[in-house]
Amino acid sequence: MSDLAAASSLVHARDGTRLKGQEGPRADAVQSIGARPIIMTVIAAFLVFVFLAPILLVIAVSFGEKIEGASWVWAFDPSNYARVFVGIGWPDQITLLYAYKLGYTLAYAVLGSLIAIAFAFPFTYFLSQCSRPAQAAWLVFILASLSMSEVFIVMGWDIMLSNRSGLPALFKATGVTAWLKDTGWLAVLKDWGLANPRNVKFKTSQLATVLTMAYLVWPYAVILLYAPLSRIDRSMIEAARTMGAGSFTVMRTVVVPVVRIPVMGTLLLLFVYLLGAYVTVTYFAEPAHQTLPVSIYEAIRGATLNAPFGAAQAVVLLSTAGVFILASLWLGRLAENRGR
Amino acid sequence: MKATFKNGFMLLCAAYISLPIVIVCLSALNGGRSMLFPPKDPTFARFYEFFVSEPVWLRSMENSIIVALASATLAVLITWPIAYDQWKRNTAFSKALTGLAGLPFALPPIVFGVGLSFLWTFAGGLGNIFTGILSHTALLAALPLVTISIGLQSIDRFHLDAAQTMGADEPTILRTIILPQTLSYTLSGFFFVVVLSFHEFIVIFFVSASAYSTVTLQIFNSLRNGFTPTMAVGAITFLLVSIVVFSAVARYGDLPRLLGADPARKDN
Amino acid sequence: MAGLVLKDVRKTYGEVTALKNIDLVFPSGKLTALLGPSGCGKTTLLRIIAGLETPTRGNLSLNGEDITTLPANRRKFGMVFQSFALFPHLSVGENVAYSLTISGVEKKTRSKRAQELLDLVQMADFQDRRIGQLSGGQRQRVAIARALAQEPQVFLLDEPMSALDAQLRETMQVELRLLQQQLNITTIVVTHDQREAMTMADEIVVMSNGVSEQIGSPTDIYQRPETPFVASFIGKANFLDGTVRGGRVFVGDSAFDLEKPAPFVDGSPVQLVCRPENAELCAADTNASNILTGPVSFVRDVGPTREVFVETDAGRIICEMPSSDATPVTQGEVTGIRLKSHTLFCFPRPDPGNLEKTVEEAGRRENVAA
Repeated sequence: MSDLAAASSLVHARDGTRLKGQEGPRADAVQSIGARPIIMTVIAAFLVFVFLAPILLVIAVSFGEKIEGASWVWAFDPSNYARVFVGIGWPDQITLLYAYKLGYTLAYAVLGSLIAIAFAFPFTYFLSQCSRPAQAAWLVFILASLSMSEVFIVMGWDIMLSNRSGLPALFKATGVTAWLKDTGWLAVLKDWGLANPRNVKFKTSQLATVLTMAYLVWPYAVILLYAPLSRIDRSMIEAARTMGAGSFTVMRTVVVPVVRIPVMGTLLLLFVYLLGAYVTVTYFAEPAHQTLPVSIYEAIRGATLNAPFGAAQAVVLLSTAGVFILASLWLGRLAENRGR
Repeated sequence: MKATFKNGFMLLCAAYISLPIVIVCLSALNGGRSMLFPPKDPTFARFYEFFVSEPVWLRSMENSIIVALASATLAVLITWPIAYDQWKRNTAFSKALTGLAGLPFALPPIVFGVGLSFLWTFAGGLGNIFTGILSHTALLAALPLVTISIGLQSIDRFHLDAAQTMGADEPTILRTIILPQTLSYTLSGFFFVVVLSFHEFIVIFFVSASAYSTVTLQIFNSLRNGFTPTMAVGAITFLLVSIVVFSAVARYGDLPRLLGADPARKDN
Repeated sequence: MAGLVLKDVRKTYGEVTALKNIDLVFPSGKLTALLGPSGCGKTTLLRIIAGLETPTRGNLSLNGEDITTLPANRRKFGMVFQSFALFPHLSVGENVAYSLTISGVEKKTRSKRAQELLDLVQMADFQDRRIGQLSGGQRQRVAIARALAQEPQVFLLDEPMSALDAQLRETMQVELRLLQQQLNITTIVVTHDQREAMTMADEIVVMSNGVSEQIGSPTDIYQRPETPFVASFIGKANFLDGTVRGGRVFVGDSAFDLEKPAPFVDGSPVQLVCRPENAELCAADTNASNILTGPVSFVRDVGPTREVFVETDAGRIICEMPSSDATPVTQGEVTGIRLKSHTLFCFPRPDPGNLEKTVEEAGRRENVAA
């Protein structure tokens, strides 16, 4: 940009006489035409190197071969992928360890994004009916919470759910624990993995994992739903009201059908985002219920140190994300065409 | 729907969203080394530790700021010509560049982080802060790309015609009409990158190779040993930065429009 | 040749022809209005004159110099846009001085010039205001001042009044005309409002369907329309289908004499056009020439005039007369209408349904041009 601006100010260092279309052909115009391909080529090269090459490298490395006790070498070895889906001993035996991890990854992401949408949709609908300044204020709040790192959010939930302080301590102090014990609910919760003999327990549990994930994407859901919901033609809602539809009926028969496609698109994007959640899972899910990102981390930088295998898992995650991103793009185009 | 129900629901959501953040903030007041809530022996000593006495946090803060500002600047410089070219010419080439520039943001960051760690291993520079800057530029370039594109689309084409009939050529129009009218959008994109770079840890974890760390990465690295109240000070600091930045965007730019609200509907 | 001359200008967008073979002369110092329904190509023509679009064929010259390939920023014809296109990031004064700023005129000179222009459009105290603080009328004044700042050789206005409310529109039309006469600048105004064109223009170019139908002074165009389109678009008109026989026009059994014998061979199908104010009520007499008879179907008094609808065998005729000397008629009464011979126009009859098709095509072209 600065180059363009510089070029333009150069072009305009001309004398102050006022002319009426009498100027001769200007050499400097040629110069600015020449700058564009150079700038764009440099940028394209940069994009290919820093934006695209990493993704291609992950794919290339995923076919590499791990050398026992050492690093790895380039190869064309699909066994890393076989290991992800059916285990290292295949075909003699099938281990679904990593397939399960993929399953947990998908399950957490689906549940987390569904819960987030369920709460974000009415919130955003109400938000879009606020006054413009109120909307701006809410959006600042939403954006601030959206930008909070997963690290910080897990920090907060960790305190809230930890056994020493937070909810379990609150339950105990207020007598809810005692009541649960008396009514026998504690035993039920214990069966669900949400209690120990003495008190309720949320860490570690799948419930905590999913809820924290839902929390993580809730602001994203609001931001993504904001555009379609705030663009709904207000007179359409008013028309429905004059025809006798109550608020809930309006929501069900007008608002939801109109934004059905953007909502699906949002759901997909949230889902893709949650596929990559890492800290939440390491903190709130027990090792047996952990996900692909955790095992990618372990393979690349953690205990197992097997870059090709980590890369293969990353490619599986990438392809999963890719499929859903394409689906959301397709939905986006569909919504646009409907809008015409 | 009853206004009270509406407001009640919105406030409940707000409370739910604020709760963990408030708890993090308050636990920064803990006197001891563990995160307790409500805080025990409240004190501001952790702030002193974070900002003054513990060099590890100061160094991380410095790195955070360098990475955030540099990658935001780079991201804006790279995306401006892409967005402009796409808006002005809309060729297949410009479309491809736009798609490519937005790609990393759409992928799970851990995948892109792994890829970047391979890239910098082969190309050299793994563990150099410069590669960290480039990595965040790539990861977050989608944000200024989007805000600048929205800014360009918001320009009234008749303004360009008007400038032309008054004697302005393409570079002059760029300088006197397009740049001033998209300034708030460009700055919004810049600050979105700054804020998200502050909070990002997974990509920077892979490309820093433990040679340096940002505040968020420092906290991430201490994850296994548990959180401490000093880390909460970092969270507070970044939270305040976010609030200031987004308030400024809302004040000087059109935040609802940036996020896709109908521009025509100013008052409802 | 002095003034702006368009020779054989044609503009096509792919398959669609927006302008076909436009030959026009805009005399220096005069105000010309391009008048026509939306989609007739008048805005495209104005944009070609400004240099914002290049004609597919033909050329433009200004005072004998070919300017066909000169880009808009080198033509520097001042232009006022429909939406005014004032820059919101600049103050009123900076907007007016924009053309001077970018050509490097020093600050003192340009703010003096901006002040002069703002004085001219009666906006003297507004130099430091933001655009957002101005009303529609004020914006228009600023847009006019801004377009004049570069002392353009040709001054262009694209539907300049359409963003204003009706009352302000009338005032501004008069003001703009006075300003143009004061500056004696070659001016072209695009409008779809015949009243506006007639208020301001020395000369009106009536356009339809990408061609100029008629060029002439406002009175010329109203009193001597050359095509049925002009007759129907400018003012109100009654149309009657007839046949020529011996220089007279026969509508059914009624014969009509024109001022001069109709210049058509016998048996030609023609259209007879009569303005409502030139049709007068008279006694029903089927034998006299230039008279039609029929029952009155509707009467309305609209302020200064009264309109009477008469259902004749040849179709409905509307008569208009001043309220003051209106003869009393009642609905259902059979009456005669006399069409005075010197006020009748006669055109070859177009194919049936032709007019509707024209409008349809025009609408399609509008979409493409936008």
